[in-house]
Amino acid sequence: MSKVVGIDLGTTNSLVAYVKDGPPVVIRDNSGDGLVPSVVSIDEGGTVYVGREAERRLLTDAGHTAYSVKRFMGKGIEDVRDEARHFPFRIGGEAGGVIRIGLGSREFTPPEISAFVLRELKHRAEAFFAGQGVVDNEVDRAVITVPAYFNDAQRTATRDAGRIAGLEVLRIINEPTAASLAYGLDKRHTGIIAVYDLGGGTFDISILRVEDGVFQVLSTNGDTHLGGDDIDVLLMDRVGADLGRPTDAERPARAEPTHRAEQAPPLPSLERVQELRKAVIQAKCDLSDDEETVLNGKRFTRAEFEALIEPIVDRTLGPCRQALADAGLQPSQIDEVVLVGGSTRIPLVRRRVEELFGRKPHSELNPDEVVALGAAVQADILVTGNREMLLLDVTPLSLGIETMGGVTSKIIMRNSTIPATGSEIFTTAVDNQTAVDIHVAQGERELVQDNRSLARFKLRGIPPMPAGLPRVQVQFQIDANGILSVTARELRTDVEQTIEVKPSYGLTDDEVERMLLDSFEHAEADFEARLLIEAKNEAEAVMHATEKSLRAPDFAEIERAELAPGERQKIESVLAGLKMVLNGNDRETIQKWTRALNDTTQHLAEVMMNRSVHAALSGKNISDV
Amino acid sequence: MSPHTTSPTLQVCRSCGAGAPVDAHFCPQCSKILSLGRHGDYFAFMGLPRKLKIDSRLLEERFRGLSRQFHPDYFYNADPGERRASLERSSYLNDAYRTLRNPISRIEYLLKVEGLAPGGPEQASKQVPPALLEEVFALNEELDEIRAERASGAAAETWKARLERARAPIDAKRADHESQLDKLSEQWDAAVDANKGADERRAVLTALRDRFLERNYINNLLGGIERELSA
Repeated sequence: MSKVVGIDLGTTNSLVAYVKDGPPVVIRDNSGDGLVPSVVSIDEGGTVYVGREAERRLLTDAGHTAYSVKRFMGKGIEDVRDEARHFPFRIGGEAGGVIRIGLGSREFTPPEISAFVLRELKHRAEAFFAGQGVVDNEVDRAVITVPAYFNDAQRTATRDAGRIAGLEVLRIINEPTAASLAYGLDKRHTGIIAVYDLGGGTFDISILRVEDGVFQVLSTNGDTHLGGDDIDVLLMDRVGADLGRPTDAERPARAEPTHRAEQAPPLPSLERVQELRKAVIQAKCDLSDDEETVLNGKRFTRAEFEALIEPIVDRTLGPCRQALADAGLQPSQIDEVVLVGGSTRIPLVRRRVEELFGRKPHSELNPDEVVALGAAVQADILVTGNREMLLLDVTPLSLGIETMGGVTSKIIMRNSTIPATGSEIFTTAVDNQTAVDIHVAQGERELVQDNRSLARFKLRGIPPMPAGLPRVQVQFQIDANGILSVTARELRTDVEQTIEVKPSYGLTDDEVERMLLDSFEHAEADFEARLLIEAKNEAEAVMHATEKSLRAPDFAEIERAELAPGERQKIESVLAGLKMVLNGNDRETIQKWTRALNDTTQHLAEVMMNRSVHAALSGKNISDV
Repeated sequence: MSPHTTSPTLQVCRSCGAGAPVDAHFCPQCSKILSLGRHGDYFAFMGLPRKLKIDSRLLEERFRGLSRQFHPDYFYNADPGERRASLERSSYLNDAYRTLRNPISRIEYLLKVEGLAPGGPEQASKQVPPALLEEVFALNEELDEIRAERASGAAAETWKARLERARAPIDAKRADHESQLDKLSEQWDAAVDANKGADERRAVLTALRDRFLERNYINNLLGGIERELSA
């Protein structure tokens, strides 16, 4: 029997996990890395790079490389004009249609780019199962997670990405709910849980009641445009100002509000901007553990960092309060708080969450991995019929139709448990009218134009009758994926109506069929390429650890007291050498230099380890020593 | 079966053609999930008496228990007919749970299934219920004066304080209605328990409907004042 997996398709990183017998497990590559960066690079020859290798190509070929594409799923160009300038790739598309991402001379829709990431995960899982000696190692079915606050168009785009990648999407589930499922495995929880999920590009808060193995979502809220990416942009603007470079506000917009993404000559600084972005992300990670770091040659403290990002962190609190109100709960009634998403490593985020709920949040499970683990559990439930647990999720946004004067008439209220149905009776305005236009939208606002347009339907085949006499019942069904379908029936004649659905920001079935990825070269399936990527990953890990040691606040003292004369210089020269060979593609040379750096830094690593052990034993903080 | 129940009591299993009680979820013959053809109301569907005081713990338990019986997750490998039936039953269960969980929507639903549908919210907000005529008349007069005061440039504190005073009797009316609705709910439940005749039930329901419509009207009024205050 072929295999099923759970996939966390993230803004920054993606993961794949599965359930063998018992607890779910993340599938890793040979170097133990479970994360696949959600980055795709496609060169002019049509060779596709995904993950770490694509991430590296951001520094050498940024114009052919796409990242954070999740932000564009199910969107139109008019939704993203403001942020498009932050990206090195072209973002275009027809007004009112699907976004097109331009990489060199080619164009892709966001679901296609996401499909490359999904296919990489599929291959990773298949290689893993083959390595386990599984005969039928094909992975053709998956549960894929989305932010709880994703609307219908964004969910549908994610499902399309799965289909393009050759996966049957068993179920789309919400990330915070998946996380709670993973947490629920250890102990038999009963109580109210709040899941706070701040990822690379999206924020979700979900409040759940867990009892008898049923995980019932009471309410959910969020912002599908709030995450670590926004922090990076702030930091880059700051560094840009330090350098006297134009900030993002002053930089010319890259979004092309034209018919299609045009062949714009890349700005000279694309790769430099990506280098800066990498440094900024590194500084952000450093400040999660350390009180200060060096950014672009300058001292950068956690206090400065927190002052800068506080407005972003505070933007998550409003949705939290709304979710509590919708669930009819006070913060003190929450029994457990669970943190999900890489951005919850930031100490300020943890403090704010703790203040709001008045309790220390859980973070025992790796916040990067917990969503994929939950998705694997859900996949297992679906294929095995395992009834130990059941997820009851809600629809995050109210579903409505446009009525007279552009006003929204709500049919299914937000936070309704799914699956859910709603219906509305329509009639005609003139004699012998045989068709009625219906506009469906999602959101809480009074006017349809302020909500998310999902689709426009034409109800046809209404029997000719005097105006006002036909009674057409339109039934809206939101399934367990949170995805909408529509059926209609004329009640007087009991005639089923035909409905042509034109999704506002989606792909038609034909388009999805045409996009199947088989026509692309499988660069990442090539064994030698895979080994090279892993060698580079390992080299980067060693380099990063070394650089961090050299930047440690007490390094000067360590050097004076413990290192041999010239030891630091030797480390620095090997480090520089490895950096240089890493630009090439000679795997053996890279591995040789990686070993050399490991050997050269062994003594330093021992010294630092001793000091931290000593500090721990004497009860002092490492920075006090 | 209680005397006022006139709905058909049988449904037919689409898998094996056997007859099943209208409130059954699974066919007693072939044990497959029944498609949602002929079915009971929300109360019957959840195995609850048609009463207004519902133990919320019992409601939650029923909801979880039934979800565990027919959630689409557990029919992933079933044939299309069963999958469809599971989706229909789950959707209906979720609607029932959402409606019965809230005491106000529960009253509204009971009035509907008992044939005393209070009409849409439009009707409730346009016609002044006779019992409220006096208060509404006084309030409207007061509101007109406050609007005039505001238009002539009076300080916000002055007219806002006056507006607050104007809403006080309406607030009191609302509290009064909430407790009346509560009492009538108890009366209805007692009538059901004692298996009272149709006339007595009807009297309670009619009183419930009138208080319910008045309550909606009051809420709309208060909403209007709220908007004026925040403008």
